[in-house]
Amino acid sequence: MAEIVAAFGVPHTPNFPALVAKQGPDCRTAQLYAQVAALLHDASPDVLVVYTDDHFNTFFLDNFPTFAVGIADQISGPNDQTAMPSYRVAGEASLASHVRARVIAAGFDLSLVQDFDLDHSIMVPLHFLTPDMAIPIVPVFINGLAPPLPSAQRCSALGHAVKDAIEDWPADKRVAVIGSGSFSLEIGGPRIPLGERACTPDPQWAKHVQDHLEHGRIAELIEEATASRLARAGNIGGELLNWIAMLGVVGDRKPIFIAPEIEHGHAYAAWRLN
Amino acid sequence: MSIYAVNKLCREALRDAAFRAALKRDPRAAIAPLPLTGEERSALLNGDVAWLYEQGAHPFLLAYLTRWELFGLTVPLYSERIRTAREPGITE
Repeated sequence: MAEIVAAFGVPHTPNFPALVAKQGPDCRTAQLYAQVAALLHDASPDVLVVYTDDHFNTFFLDNFPTFAVGIADQISGPNDQTAMPSYRVAGEASLASHVRARVIAAGFDLSLVQDFDLDHSIMVPLHFLTPDMAIPIVPVFINGLAPPLPSAQRCSALGHAVKDAIEDWPADKRVAVIGSGSFSLEIGGPRIPLGERACTPDPQWAKHVQDHLEHGRIAELIEEATASRLARAGNIGGELLNWIAMLGVVGDRKPIFIAPEIEHGHAYAAWRLN
Repeated sequence: MSIYAVNKLCREALRDAAFRAALKRDPRAAIAPLPLTGEERSALLNGDVAWLYEQGAHPFLLAYLTRWELFGLTVPLYSERIRTAREPGITE
């Protein structure tokens, strides 16, 4: 049976690859991703299950799943003109199919996606964490951007169902789980300052989330992450749901690494699970 | 529900360089074939992003318009206008 060895949370800010290309490997962003990448390397996973909120690129509003799993042998990205290299990464279709069957049996109506590419919300984390794209992925999509969003409780339950599915996948493989995104971010909405396209409208919430993560208070985090609370954190605040689903494999364990960037409304974190 | 067409326009502006160029050159003509209401057409041509937002246009998509200053929407002008928009109702 497969073993879940680690979990990670990172931002997926689309200008980070260009920023790091310009500022070099010693800049703060590069260093933070490098620390998470080193911990991921230590865990030596064979497969990455990645929770992502598509930004109207893989899907559009004509057909926008609340939850979906991507089953494919090869996946390309980014598909949204993010300034970064283009990549192809292998999909672990066997685990993805297994997750789909198990999670549907557990009561989640996961949509099926087989012919797709991915936007910056997966490709930016992979660019920094596994730049050789040598570890196959299973993308699990959560609607974090187009209200009404799934509840934090529902995303947590999905995370637990995916955990159960991974753990009875009949393969001798090491699996790591990644969630990415911001805790507080507004893009193009009424809270942006004059002359800006985006801002962190609720750094207190970002700090609060980071405190809960640091101390393993996941039940409290889920309780507090209501739809209105996420909306107050900004129109991209629903990306926390990717983290909450990822935390399904973490339980109340404390991270072995956590580095907040409160002014940017996000954090970098790692959990060891074996 | 044709605000969907506004959202789609924003996405096509990102993806389709020819459409983007047409929007830049002659916005009225470029949006003429699209299934927009008269109010949506006027709001787009006037760069009234606050009204479009209140009708349900997604801000992540609307903000694409500033990348190429479509409909005259520079970042300062966009931000000034969107800040006047009413927040959408949030339901638990």
